[in-house]
Amino acid sequence: MRGAILPGRFRAIALCASVCLWQGGAAYAEDASSWRELETKYIFGFTTGSGIGLEGEKEFTIDTIGRFGKRDGHYAATETKYEFEFTPSQFVQIEFGALGSTHNIGAMTDLDSRNQAAFAGGFAEFRYLALERTSSNPLSVTVAFEPNVRLIDETSGERVHNYEFETAINADLELMRNRLYAGFNLLYEPEVTQTLLDETLREATFGGSAALSVRVLSNVVLGGEVWYLRHYDAIGLTAFTGDAVLLGPSLYIQFTPKMFMTAAWNAQVWGREIGNPVSLNLAEFQRHRARLKFAWEF
Amino acid sequence: MSAVLIMKRLMLAALCTIVTLQAAPSHAQQSTEIRLTYSKGQFQPSQVSAPADKPISFRVKNLDDKAMEFESTSLRVEKVVAAGTEGVINVRALKPGRYEFYDDFNDKARGALTVQ
Repeated sequence: MRGAILPGRFRAIALCASVCLWQGGAAYAEDASSWRELETKYIFGFTTGSGIGLEGEKEFTIDTIGRFGKRDGHYAATETKYEFEFTPSQFVQIEFGALGSTHNIGAMTDLDSRNQAAFAGGFAEFRYLALERTSSNPLSVTVAFEPNVRLIDETSGERVHNYEFETAINADLELMRNRLYAGFNLLYEPEVTQTLLDETLREATFGGSAALSVRVLSNVVLGGEVWYLRHYDAIGLTAFTGDAVLLGPSLYIQFTPKMFMTAAWNAQVWGREIGNPVSLNLAEFQRHRARLKFAWEF
Repeated sequence: MSAVLIMKRLMLAALCTIVTLQAAPSHAQQSTEIRLTYSKGQFQPSQVSAPADKPISFRVKNLDDKAMEFESTSLRVEKVVAAGTEGVINVRALKPGRYEFYDDFNDKARGALTVQ
């Protein structure tokens, strides 16, 4: 199974890298100094940049993340955020919204088969710009807190009460003015789940990412990112159960000054499950994940 | 302790942190006023300067017959100024550097603030 997937995965990565290099080379003919400065929040794919928007700006976004492929059977799940975000000051951004999910699961050993779409809960996010970029300092850092309440389990699609509190540090560096950016995330995501059987499960995900994005046209950014994620069966990072490395390309397109999209795809290229000598970690993570986000500012 | 209680406490802690951090830089200071006019799709003047570490207040008078949007990614502000009116945009105290601004409705209208 793995042998059949890896060559395809590497072909896709090589194709994306080739497109990036080709586009990047062609774009150097353009003078980036004449381009407007870029908001970095969404240019790195799953990695979030430090941007917090502009004071007074409001935005509606539809942000879908799909997770595909487990050890056996058929697995496809998505979660969509219907999100309103606004920036009340030059240091703070606030977001909130509803969650919708879909699960298409069949013939799997550990999960019940189901084909469903459901309202899945709600979330809020608070972002504070701790260090701002200036013309003499290329580094910008934002801290973010994101509480989520879910009524549907993200992985299995079962009805639960799930409480998650994502804490993240989003940093980015402008390596070449208006042209080349590096992004870094540090993530700690504790969660508590109460099942219908009245069990209480505690778990946490901890990890980080590094991303590199190049602005190939004034309104197009291409990039690549790598994530390293660790999973624990405890909030306090004491019961390590496995980890994984995910890798993939990203794309950002600004259609108009008030509308943009971002797309990203990650494939698991390495992983391990503690106590289970198999390749990849498909118990806690997935073979592939994809993100598609559209945003309208007003 | 129930999961809901843990969640509420974590959210409260996050909000308190943000409110504290937000309040920190907001000491009342006399701001530097910068007056700009917007006419025939251009800022006048297009290059302005201000001292560092003092809040800035842009007063933008739109003399054109259509609305413009004063916007800047590095200043982190945006404001629509209707035709024939004046808009006031307050900016935090800035570190030395160059900060570009533009009309979001007109790609050719650009300007820059130099803080020193």
